Amino acid sequence: MQTGTNRKKIKFKTGWIGPLLTAGCVLLAMTWFSNALARTGTAPLSTWFVQMDQYAGAAHGTLKCEECHGPMTGNSKSHPDPEAVDFLKTQTKRNFDYKSCKKCHKSAHERFQKGEHATAAVKQRADGKPSKTGFAPTCGDCHSAHYSKSHRTKAVIGKEMTQTCGACHGDQKESYLANYHGKTAVNLGYEKAAFCTDCHGAHTTISLKDQEVVLNACKRCHSDATPEFANIIIHDSTKNPDLKNDIKRSGLKWVHIMAALSLTFVVLVLTFFYMHTGLMILRKLHEKLRRHK
Amino acid sequence: MMKTNQNSKETYQRFHVLHRILHIVIIFNFTLLAITGFLLHFSGFGWARFLVSIMGGAAAAGWLHRFCAIFLYCGILVHLSWLFYYKFALKKKLSGPDSMLPKKKDIKDLYQNLRYVFNKGTPPLFDRFSYLQKFDYWSELLGMQSMGITGLMMWFPEFFTRIFPGYFINIAGYFHFYEAVLAVMYIGVVHMSDTHLHPDIFPMEKSIFTGKIEKERFMEDHPGEWERQQMIRTNQTDQ
Repeated sequence: MQTGTNRKKIKFKTGWIGPLLTAGCVLLAMTWFSNALARTGTAPLSTWFVQMDQYAGAAHGTLKCEECHGPMTGNSKSHPDPEAVDFLKTQTKRNFDYKSCKKCHKSAHERFQKGEHATAAVKQRADGKPSKTGFAPTCGDCHSAHYSKSHRTKAVIGKEMTQTCGACHGDQKESYLANYHGKTAVNLGYEKAAFCTDCHGAHTTISLKDQEVVLNACKRCHSDATPEFANIIIHDSTKNPDLKNDIKRSGLKWVHIMAALSLTFVVLVLTFFYMHTGLMILRKLHEKLRRHK
Repeated sequence: MMKTNQNSKETYQRFHVLHRILHIVIIFNFTLLAITGFLLHFSGFGWARFLVSIMGGAAAAGWLHRFCAIFLYCGILVHLSWLFYYKFALKKKLSGPDSMLPKKKDIKDLYQNLRYVFNKGTPPLFDRFSYLQKFDYWSELLGMQSMGITGLMMWFPEFFTRIFPGYFINIAGYFHFYEAVLAVMYIGVVHMSDTHLHPDIFPMEKSIFTGKIEKERFMEDHPGEWERQQMIRTNQTDQ
């Protein structure tokens, strides 16, 4: 009698398995598709050979070459001979003077001059010693003069910015993307969350080590922030300890100790109860099968 | 306890309607909290991004998370006020064998149960709540407090950094995440298996939804309470 009711129940259940599996597959397919969409490539960097179709659609597309590069014939420079055998093998090197960006982008250039990238660049060029990732960047290392598009959303710019800054500051990119700011801003396209330049400043690119400077950066969004608020660790990584101030370094140590402790606790509790449950089910199944003999 | 007849199977009332409603409130909010929370945490994956976009973006998922947290905590407050009502208005005892309070017997039961697993004895005679059910209850009640505090710390970091040093917010983030992992992996495996995977109960234990328990299950799973009720019943018939 009891088996009869059980079978009826199971029949009712199997009726739903088909549609549920189909729905699951459709959802999986859609998520796969969205995953593929999410991987957008970055714009190609400027080289000698400008792709005019892309250039025409970019922010500088209305400018004529000579407006930035100067007259070709004016200063005794000669254009490489297109008929030459090794023409396409010519080394594409960038010996463009970015000071001419200043003509239009005055405030950006001023901010850049005040910033840490410019100071580092001057010092490195004078010493002739580049850092691990090369000489400190000027305009063209971050911006593509020929292909950068205008009128893009903050989220799109921010996403690209994370890649651009991350090319040299890889650890910082990683720790930013592990933080709530990076997750919501870059991964989920939430425009109210902070991207790189929202804290470090566009073009000034300051390293936020001094507590007062940090607090100013925090206050752009968190208007009620107190000095202690500035000690919340955003780049939660032990990879570059000398880039952090003393308070954050000692805080970071405790953060990781507590994280390790809580992970241990989780593993211990789960191990005990999983073993308990698994054994108990086996025992009860055993009992039931023995009864049926 | 009322004895009711339903489809010729003898059933007994086990759960008050308020507790059944609160359990559904917990299921609903716990599931949504887990989904929205883990989607925000694992937002680096495309599928998470897609599901968050269905919910209406990061802000909407975040607010849904906060809403469910408040809803769930309201459920806990209702439960606590019910405890006060039970004790002071109904004048009933909160302690005793039927209560949720942990006792020495629970440790003994655990030991006896582990012996039983290895065929070294008989299963323990549970009262109204087994030690695992008590652990479920207390981990929920106390776990929600710490989830609430760490969650509030991340919700209002400006306020909490007036009291605590800044790195406490980072610690709160780790605690919140690991406790969420623990809660989901505990409820999803231990609580589910303990209730539904018993060979005589599978596929589903319905007593928390219907409030009723069959006589057979009552005698087998809660023999302590069953014995006491039989004694009360015989005493009543004697008088």
